Amino acid sequence: MNKFVSTVGSRIPLVDAPEKVTGSGVYIEDMKFPHTLFVRMVRSTISHGKVLAVDLTEAEKVSGFVSSLVPGELGTGTRFGVLPISEDETALPAPRVLYSGAIVAAVACETEEAAREAALRVRVEYEELPAILRPKDALKKTEDPLHEGTVNGTNIHKEVDQEFGNVDGAFASAAHVIEKDCIFDGINHGFTEPIGCIAVPEPNERMSVYSATQVPHYLHRALAKVLDEPMHKIRIYKPLVGGGFGGKSDPFPHEMVAALLARKTSRPARVIFDRDEVFLNNHGRHPTEYSLKLAADVDGNLLGLDSRSLIDGGAWGSFGVVTTYYNGILAQGPYRMPTVRYGGRRVYTNKPACGAMRGHGAVNARFNLETALDELAEQLDMDPFNLRFQNALPPNSTTRNHLRITTTGFVECLEKTRARSGWSKKFRQLPSGEGIGLGCGFYISGSALPIHRTKTPQSTVHVKIDGDGGVTIHSMAADIGQGSDTVLAQCVAEAMGVSMKRCRVFAKDTDTAPLDLGSYSSRVTFMAGNAALEAGQNILKKLQAACARLTGLPAGGFCRGPEETYLHKSDATVSVSFMDALTEALANNGALIAKGIYRAPKLGGAFKGSGAGLSPSYSYQAFVAQVSVDEETGHIRVKHVWAAHDCGMALNRTAVEGQIEGSVHMGLGQALTEQMLFTSGGQLINPNLLDYKILSPLDTPYIEAIVVESCDPEGPMGAKECGEGALAPIIPAVANAVYDAVGIRLTEVPMTPERVLKALEKKKKLEARRANS
Amino acid sequence: MQIPDLDLQQPRSLKEAWTSLEGDASFDWMGGGTDLLCNYKWGINVPQKVISLRQTVELQGGAGTLAAGRTLYEIQQDPILQKDFPALSYAASVIASPLIRRTATLGGNLLLDTRCWHFNQTLEWRRAHGSCLKAEADVCRVLPYPGNLCVAAYSGDMAPVLLAYGANFVLAGPSGERTVPASNFYAEDGIRRYEDKTQEEILLRAELPKEAGNWTVAYQKLRLRKTFDFPEGGVAAAVLWKDGKVVQARLATTAYASVPCLYPEISASLEGGELTEVHIEAAAEALFLAVRPMKNTSMSPAYRKKMARVLCRRALKACTSDY
Repeated sequence: MNKFVSTVGSRIPLVDAPEKVTGSGVYIEDMKFPHTLFVRMVRSTISHGKVLAVDLTEAEKVSGFVSSLVPGELGTGTRFGVLPISEDETALPAPRVLYSGAIVAAVACETEEAAREAALRVRVEYEELPAILRPKDALKKTEDPLHEGTVNGTNIHKEVDQEFGNVDGAFASAAHVIEKDCIFDGINHGFTEPIGCIAVPEPNERMSVYSATQVPHYLHRALAKVLDEPMHKIRIYKPLVGGGFGGKSDPFPHEMVAALLARKTSRPARVIFDRDEVFLNNHGRHPTEYSLKLAADVDGNLLGLDSRSLIDGGAWGSFGVVTTYYNGILAQGPYRMPTVRYGGRRVYTNKPACGAMRGHGAVNARFNLETALDELAEQLDMDPFNLRFQNALPPNSTTRNHLRITTTGFVECLEKTRARSGWSKKFRQLPSGEGIGLGCGFYISGSALPIHRTKTPQSTVHVKIDGDGGVTIHSMAADIGQGSDTVLAQCVAEAMGVSMKRCRVFAKDTDTAPLDLGSYSSRVTFMAGNAALEAGQNILKKLQAACARLTGLPAGGFCRGPEETYLHKSDATVSVSFMDALTEALANNGALIAKGIYRAPKLGGAFKGSGAGLSPSYSYQAFVAQVSVDEETGHIRVKHVWAAHDCGMALNRTAVEGQIEGSVHMGLGQALTEQMLFTSGGQLINPNLLDYKILSPLDTPYIEAIVVESCDPEGPMGAKECGEGALAPIIPAVANAVYDAVGIRLTEVPMTPERVLKALEKKKKLEARRANS
Repeated sequence: MQIPDLDLQQPRSLKEAWTSLEGDASFDWMGGGTDLLCNYKWGINVPQKVISLRQTVELQGGAGTLAAGRTLYEIQQDPILQKDFPALSYAASVIASPLIRRTATLGGNLLLDTRCWHFNQTLEWRRAHGSCLKAEADVCRVLPYPGNLCVAAYSGDMAPVLLAYGANFVLAGPSGERTVPASNFYAEDGIRRYEDKTQEEILLRAELPKEAGNWTVAYQKLRLRKTFDFPEGGVAAAVLWKDGKVVQARLATTAYASVPCLYPEISASLEGGELTEVHIEAAAEALFLAVRPMKNTSMSPAYRKKMARVLCRRALKACTSDY
């Protein structure tokens, strides 16, 4: 074999796997600094009120008590947030507490035990105010909204109203109209590693903040604001992160508290949350009421979509503006939708804030749409697959709301899932209690619009190579377990034509790494991957020039060969090894350095909110779930899932399949068991992993991940996202399978046994009434 | 989460166990600790002294025994129990998770503390919400009426099955051993929990009557997930068959009250004839009417009550396969 052997599509162990499986990897809780203070939060016991006084008298008596942070102190009331358009979070109440469990004050002690004891002894005096717990109450006008800048004196945080085309006309002319009102409970990310950070004062009045975060850059910005210091005085360091799923993608109050306490005491300040604190911090999927109307003509061509959402945001804004848009915009693909109307309202309530979570903004709306399509197919007496084939968005097109569609593997996803699942022999043919259902999806491959409107590239990657032959990659893309470090190494190695074993990725330190916006919106493979590829290509150019000097042949003719060599196109006998080329390139020059950047192309229309949902590419899914339903207990058992996902190109097949399987597992949790439950006073009832029910391995079906590759011309080596889009389709797939099994249309998620049983009883009553009449 | 400072004793004999008390009233006996240690982390009724019985020889036992110190995993895997008392192995196999079953003991499950949403929470949570009878306050948050007993749910899976087999419990105290019928052991009070077991007394083992092996017993557990979860309801049915007819029957439940319960009147209605669908339905209906779950676990009381009917039907049907 005399050719370069690409690693694309092979099965590559993640570069950080050895340290993780041997336990030598360093997570935030493993980090130790001399003279560290342990910080413990004092949390609100009421859902809404003003803090009148914080009495530290008893806390200060605890042996080991060192310091405290209370409302009113410098920086504690500075507003921050991940989106500059809704910076409404503060480190401590200023002066109001907005939910039960919110941080009210903090103590810093010599030991963890002392900190826990001191925190318990802090007495807080409140002036209690009426709590707004139901979203519909937040729609009302009030003299005292929870935040400034709400809509018309209500507690509406964001309202979105969009209309494209003549929606009313489309519905008036429709042969079929399906209406679907659904309710979704809020859910939490359930990542393995609890949140934590350590703020360490450094010489020269600098501050290092070590944090388990997905977004070092946004944390960097928020800390600069809260500490009122220029960004260069602050350094963010991201150790290994044990899962994020969007739950570590905001700058958080505890990070501000730690930094303020570190500055106040001139000592490192460490915060590690207990699990209940993770739930109280939340920023998970929004509880949502979603209503949708779908119009189609007599042949099943979709004519219009008219939807409304009422989104319970909890105490803070977080990513909520984006969520509000996504609930409308991302519900439209992967179908041709000639007319579209969407009205979204996100409201503030006195509960833990909601934010981004895997499949952000697209999951709940997707359920309505895909279950409505199932009903429509039935009305049309049409196979649900055929309905989707007929309405699939074509490649290289533009949606009604100005999303640019380039590649799409949607049709292939449908074809493969249908064949692999044995659909045509099962649909409407399985015995009673057994069923099969289809759910599809569509998701962004990185948000094209950066959160902060600057001209800085969204991703930059630096590569350095010295005489040792090792390839050092610097980036601030955050590997949170999804394998982004591996993607960077693979892209650079692939571009240079060298083994990945030479690569070492340093994506943890803002002092040394170039800017990257972080891990959210499924952007890292596409954006940082492209930047890494470009950096590798720029190094390759230097090596090609060295080859030319060594051989006398033109540089442009050298290409990657087998086993880390460079071959010349015009002379097959010429081969230069990587190390020879490198040695030549280093001569009189020193270490090779190069960078690559990524900026999304300019996309979208010129209307308000046109930036939301824009992406350089989109992923597509078609999932089939096979279920059995216990008609006596209402338990749904998902037996098998066939999950086809268009990821553009599987750079690393193992990682892609892992993301699909993980997304399905997480989606099934939302589908069947996970829900955040509150007391009538707004206190979270189940902030622990026994009562918040994530599916166990025994509840998880066999998941057949089907990789579809549409080879995106703008993606790195053809790749697009695979980490989020694969979550949404499974929930409606299960609901549609339940209908196939027992003939009930479920409209509340999670579809708990109790809800299933209620729907079955209702169906039986209706049938009995019909039989009697 | 941190386990608070505790004085941990690990006696090797019962004698040592009682000696280690040193007259202290604030102590817990501990089997595997899989439940108690979580409670301690949450600041729930933390005693000064914890006496682990894991190494106490009198609580250990070999294959076929129901010694209190055997792990649930051992009960689940025991070939003798699997053959002669399969419902016991089955009940053990559906408790918690594989890892917990390797540590948790039979004794610990039988003496499992009662559970309630208002109680099994962190100290900070209980402070915000208001504590309850079973912890730091004197009001029940489920039934907030004066004079009410605690209604926290008994959530062990082994007890209903042992009740169905007609088991006895052997207790040891400083003044000697005694045997009590399991049916007289538990008291309907989520705090007191036992009729007359003194704090010093230790559960040594369960014993089955000689004829227990002739009974057909089945257990049905209601829970959301197939692992981890405590029962939201549980029904054990036991039938002694002769010539296709029910000689004697027992029905027992768990998670429907602060005690595991027997239903002699319902089971008596099954005795003397064949176990037809009509009989089964009548018993299931009677059990549905008899159970009174409270609003203190994750599933609603109405649903749990309905499920008593289903669990009973299924458990009795499972018993019919044997005649």
